[in-house]
Amino acid sequence: MAVAVPQRTQRRRESLGSAKAREAFVGYAFVALPLGFFFLFFIFPMIYAFYISRYDWGVLGPIENLGLQNYRELIDDELFRHALRNILVYTLFVVPGQMALGLLAAVIVNQKIRGRPFFRASFYFPSLASSAAIVAIFIYLLNADGLVNSILGTNTAFFADSDTALPAIMALNTWTTSGTIMLFYLAALQAIPTDVYEAAAIDASGAWRTFWKITFPLLKPGHFFVLVVSIIGCLKVFDQMYIVSGGTGGPNYSTLSVVLYMYRTAISDLRWGYAAAIGVVLFLMIFVFTLVQRLLFGRAEVS
Amino acid sequence: MRKRMTFVGIGCLAIVVAVAAGIGGGGGSAATAAPTARDVTGSITLAGWTSGGSTEGQLLRQVLAGFKKKYPKINVTYTALDPYQQNMLAQFAARKPPDVFYVDSNDFPDWVKQGLLQPLDSYMKKYKFSTKPFYPRLLNAFKYKGKTYGFPKGFSPLSMEINTSMLARVGGKAPTTWAQLRALAQRMKAANIPEGGRPICLQPEWARLLAFVYQNKGSLLNSSKTKATVVTPAVRDAVNFYVGLINSGLAGTQQQLGAGWCGEALGKEKAAITFEGNWIMPFMAEQFPSVKYRVYRMVKNKQAATLSFTVSYSMAKASKNKAAAWTLLTYLVGKPGMTTWTSKGLELPSRKDVKLKVGGRTSFIRDAPIGRPWQFAPGFSKVMTVANNELTAVIEGKQTVNGMLAKVQEAANEALP
Repeated sequence: MAVAVPQRTQRRRESLGSAKAREAFVGYAFVALPLGFFFLFFIFPMIYAFYISRYDWGVLGPIENLGLQNYRELIDDELFRHALRNILVYTLFVVPGQMALGLLAAVIVNQKIRGRPFFRASFYFPSLASSAAIVAIFIYLLNADGLVNSILGTNTAFFADSDTALPAIMALNTWTTSGTIMLFYLAALQAIPTDVYEAAAIDASGAWRTFWKITFPLLKPGHFFVLVVSIIGCLKVFDQMYIVSGGTGGPNYSTLSVVLYMYRTAISDLRWGYAAAIGVVLFLMIFVFTLVQRLLFGRAEVS
Repeated sequence: MRKRMTFVGIGCLAIVVAVAAGIGGGGGSAATAAPTARDVTGSITLAGWTSGGSTEGQLLRQVLAGFKKKYPKINVTYTALDPYQQNMLAQFAARKPPDVFYVDSNDFPDWVKQGLLQPLDSYMKKYKFSTKPFYPRLLNAFKYKGKTYGFPKGFSPLSMEINTSMLARVGGKAPTTWAQLRALAQRMKAANIPEGGRPICLQPEWARLLAFVYQNKGSLLNSSKTKATVVTPAVRDAVNFYVGLINSGLAGTQQQLGAGWCGEALGKEKAAITFEGNWIMPFMAEQFPSVKYRVYRMVKNKQAATLSFTVSYSMAKASKNKAAAWTLLTYLVGKPGMTTWTSKGLELPSRKDVKLKVGGRTSFIRDAPIGRPWQFAPGFSKVMTVANNELTAVIEGKQTVNGMLAKVQEAANEALP
């Protein structure tokens, strides 16, 4: 060889270079399958939905190229406005409710109390149970002459009155999803180092003060994550609205959610282009919300 | 040598002629009777929402068994789809729909407009299939632009059910007109019958209200389905009558009476009078066997009219074995098939020549000729969403009747071409 590089270093350099490349290759190979899956079932349908929304699309394919007309129609659509108003009101009340309830449950379950697994399981159970089954039970409970009414001494058909239908669903969902929120907060709580609490104990800080001044701020990454996940879930609410109203959007449009409206447009009206446009608008809404939160609350890092 | 060649020549000619005749014959000559058992073969799929485990499922299996006996070379697979519309639409979009399937009269306008159904007129002509036995109104529900796209497999009209013991307690007779209905309800209310409920149960939906609109000679669309006729005195007066019964305490919605639907209200004895179809009979027999009630003909006002809920058997345009599908279709809606299907009275026969073996349904059958199909024009699903939501608003007092009618008319005009 004409090159004056000692053979040992040359071999080491070669082996280092190819080892890195090999490692990278192995990494990509592992991720390739789930990534492909993700692309096929999430990214591609999203792009395709954008595409469909520009047409009058029927069951057997595109009927007419409408450009952005579906979106223009959406702006004037009164039903869409009802749906939008409903999910915004819903999100406004359910998100803080879920977070508070979930945090409370997490704090309780984080204590060293007796029967801890039992409490954990019972707080989480509503999230596991089928939403359809829970709604069916609640329809029965909230009947005009059902259990809740006999306790309260009233006679309101909660799900049939446009003033109480949505609040009833909000209460129902706050309770069922708090279990999942509890798990997120539990993970965040357990990430807080115990010496912080020891320091607080030395400073004779009361339980409430400890919670507010120490625990709560340290849960910032938990708050951010829960806020994002909660808002996304609330804006997409569908199941309960569908079951309670029988698909119509409830008494006087009170249980019409955006996803329910999209569902009806697709399945009953067979206007798949318009339904895709509704989906795209909802997607953009959620995207903007998440982006705004990211900017406001910064990155989820514990200081 | 020449003789042999002639022989061979004639033989070949004979074979060619036979083959040609075979091919030509298989293609179908003009005006033959229903395919005989030997002609048609194949595997076809049937889809519906009748679940296999239910009583109806058993009846359907009996019908299909009868079919298999008559046409052993045709293999039919039935699949129950749940939810029905979603699954059917997915299969249509994938170009792999079932060969024969249910079509609800309310889905029919949209499905036929999208080109999903096979027009059946050429088959009707070829196989001399007579549609005379079908009730005309039900048959016409599945026609579009003059062509037939399905045959009604059964139907149920809305009639009137009254709790007979409560009726006897006020010493009343079953009403036949709106005025008599109101008078009877007032008598019951004065006598506090039923206790803790209201005399009549009315569902806050147009699938019941529309019957009363028709009785007042009103309708949402004109007969050619080209114009919306919602904002008319006939419709307004009918709605005022319906909502008026609720507002005056003579009637209540099922939710006000603490029930899931008016049949349940009748069973729980929270209402004495309700307007439901024959599906109420198995329900009452199973859930509330002790409640004594009777089915009467629907009330009338300016004319006798009611709603009929009907479903057709239709063929997919994309079906790969249309001859077999046609054979199945005509068997299912033919006299023997329909007799078996309606033998328990769970659905009523849409053919006049099928006599019901099970009793108690005379009033329903008598209401058949005046029953209008629950159906509108393509694109009307959104109009009905608006209409039903506005109706609940009116009943709650948050919207006026005129306001509702204006909104429904607006939505209808948008939906019509």
